[in-house]
Amino acid sequence: MERQEIIDGLVEILKTVRTIDPQKLVGVTEQTDFITDLNTPSTEMINIVAKTEQKFGVEFDDDDIDDLGSKVKNVVDLIIKTKEKESE
Amino acid sequence: MPGRKVAVVGMGGAFPDCSDLTDFSTKLFSNKSLIREWDKAIAYGKNIRSSVSGFITEEEMGLDVIYSSLADNNYPETYIDKLNRIPDGNLATADIGCIWAMLGSLDAIKMAGWTNKEVQSEQTGVIMGSGGAGNAILRVAWHNFYELGKKTRLAGSHTVDRTMVYREAANVSCLIKNKGICEAIGSACATGLGNIGYAYRLIKFGLQDRIIAGGVEGTSLETFIGFDGMQVLSRGFSPQESSRPFDLNRNGFVCSFGCGIVALEEYEQAKARGANIIGVIDEYFNNSDGDGDMFYPSFSGQKRLWKGLLSSPALKPDVVKVHGTSTPAGDSIELLSVVDVLGEDGYHICAPKSQFGHMLGAAGSVEFITALLMLKEQKVLPCLNSVTLNPELEPFQKSEKWEGPIKPLEAYRQLIPQQSIAKEINHITCLNYGFGGTNSAISISRDN
Repeated sequence: MERQEIIDGLVEILKTVRTIDPQKLVGVTEQTDFITDLNTPSTEMINIVAKTEQKFGVEFDDDDIDDLGSKVKNVVDLIIKTKEKESE
Repeated sequence: MPGRKVAVVGMGGAFPDCSDLTDFSTKLFSNKSLIREWDKAIAYGKNIRSSVSGFITEEEMGLDVIYSSLADNNYPETYIDKLNRIPDGNLATADIGCIWAMLGSLDAIKMAGWTNKEVQSEQTGVIMGSGGAGNAILRVAWHNFYELGKKTRLAGSHTVDRTMVYREAANVSCLIKNKGICEAIGSACATGLGNIGYAYRLIKFGLQDRIIAGGVEGTSLETFIGFDGMQVLSRGFSPQESSRPFDLNRNGFVCSFGCGIVALEEYEQAKARGANIIGVIDEYFNNSDGDGDMFYPSFSGQKRLWKGLLSSPALKPDVVKVHGTSTPAGDSIELLSVVDVLGEDGYHICAPKSQFGHMLGAAGSVEFITALLMLKEQKVLPCLNSVTLNPELEPFQKSEKWEGPIKPLEAYRQLIPQQSIAKEINHITCLNYGFGGTNSAISISRDN
C-alpha cells in the first residue's frame, strides 16, 4: 500500500470527526500534526486510532499506541510496520 | 446570609411530544396527554409488560445520531445539532440527556436575560442531575467488551464523560463556562427537585448569586426495562389513560423522559436589573422516611416533610403539586398526608404525571416548571383519569396503628380536578419522593 494511499484513507477518517474543521483537511501531508495543525481534541485521538485499525485491517499493539507521535507520518509508519509484522 | 430570597427568572427543557415550552404549556392547560405508544418497547413483544411512555426522539429535538462504525448495536458516536445550537465539541462529550440539559440551559439563560459576563462569573453555578446512569451508552460499551470480546478503545474515548454521575452539570458548565459551583444531587425520583432545592440553598446562604438548576432523564429503553421488570409500570390502558393518579383502577406509573431547567437568581439582584420574576421560592425542605424501607412510602415521613416545610413563615398553598405517580401504594398515602396537614378544603391538588408520566430524575424539575406555569396562567393543571376514587378505606387505614384521616379517598374528590380550572393562585407547594425513602418539598409564590 502506497503511503499517499494511506494518507488519503486517514483523511477520510478525519472527515468523520466532527470536532475537526473540514477546511483544515485540504492539503494534509505526512508532516501535518493532528494536534497543532488540525486542532484535534486529544480525546479524539484514540477514536481516530481505532477507526484507522478498522479501515486498514490492522491491530496495533498497545505499546505502539502509547508511543505514537501526533503527526500523520507517525500513523502511516505504524500502519506499514504493523502490516509487515502481521505478514511475517 | 439572612434575608436573601431566591427568584426564578428563566425556564427551559425538553418535553414529550412538544416542540418547546410554549407548546408544553398550551397542551398541559388544554388537558392533553403527552403519553404515546412507544415503538421501541413494542419491538420487544411480550418481553416487555408496558409499552407506553412520554418519550422524546432525537428527531423531535432537532438532532441526528451518528452511530459508531467500530462498535455493534447502534452505539452513538456523537450527535449532530441540525439547528446549530450547540458546538460539535460539546456534543462529543454528551449523551442525549446532556444535550437536552444544554438546550434547556440556553433557553433558561436567554429567558433570564443574563449577560455573558454574568453567566461566566464565579457567582454563577450549575446544579443538575439525573436519576439513572448513562444507561444507553453503557449497555453497548459493555456489550462490545464483554460479549463481543472487543478492545476497550472500540467504544471510543467518551464513555466516561457521557455516563458519569454529574455528566449533565459538567456538560452544561463546559458549554456556558461558568466559574462557580458545578455539582449534581442524586435522590432517585426526587432528583429534579433536590437539585433545585440545593441550588436555592446555595443562593439563600450567599454562596452563589445565580444558578442554572434542574433534572434530566434522557430517553432510554435500558432505564425503562429496569422498572418494567419490577412490574410497577402501568399496563392495560390506552396511552392517554395509562397514567391515572388516585384513580381506583390505577396499576402503575408511566415511565417517561424529559428535562426541566430553571434559572435561579438572588431576588434583590434580579429585581434591581428589572428581571421578569416568574416565581419566588419561599422554602425548601427534605428528609428521609427513616423506616428502613427502600420503596414503600411513609405517612409519618411525609408529615415530617410538611412540618419542616411549614416551620418557617407558613404559606398555605392554593395548589399542591403532588408526586402522584399512579402507583397503588404511593398515591393513597400521599393524598392522606396532604389532607392530614392541610385539611379537607381551601386548596386543590394537581398531579402532572397524569399528563406526561413519571420522568424519574427529571420529574421534580419538570413538575416545578408546571407549578411556575400555574402561577403564570392562574390555572390549576388537571389530574387526568382520576375518574373513581376509592369509596372504601385503604387496607392500612383499618390498622390500629393508623393515625391519619379515616375517610376513604373518595371523600376528597373535590380537591382533585380532572380538568384544568382557573382560580387565584398565589402559593404552590411541590412534592417529590424517591426510592430510599427520600422526600423533598418546595414552596413557591407569585412575586408581589
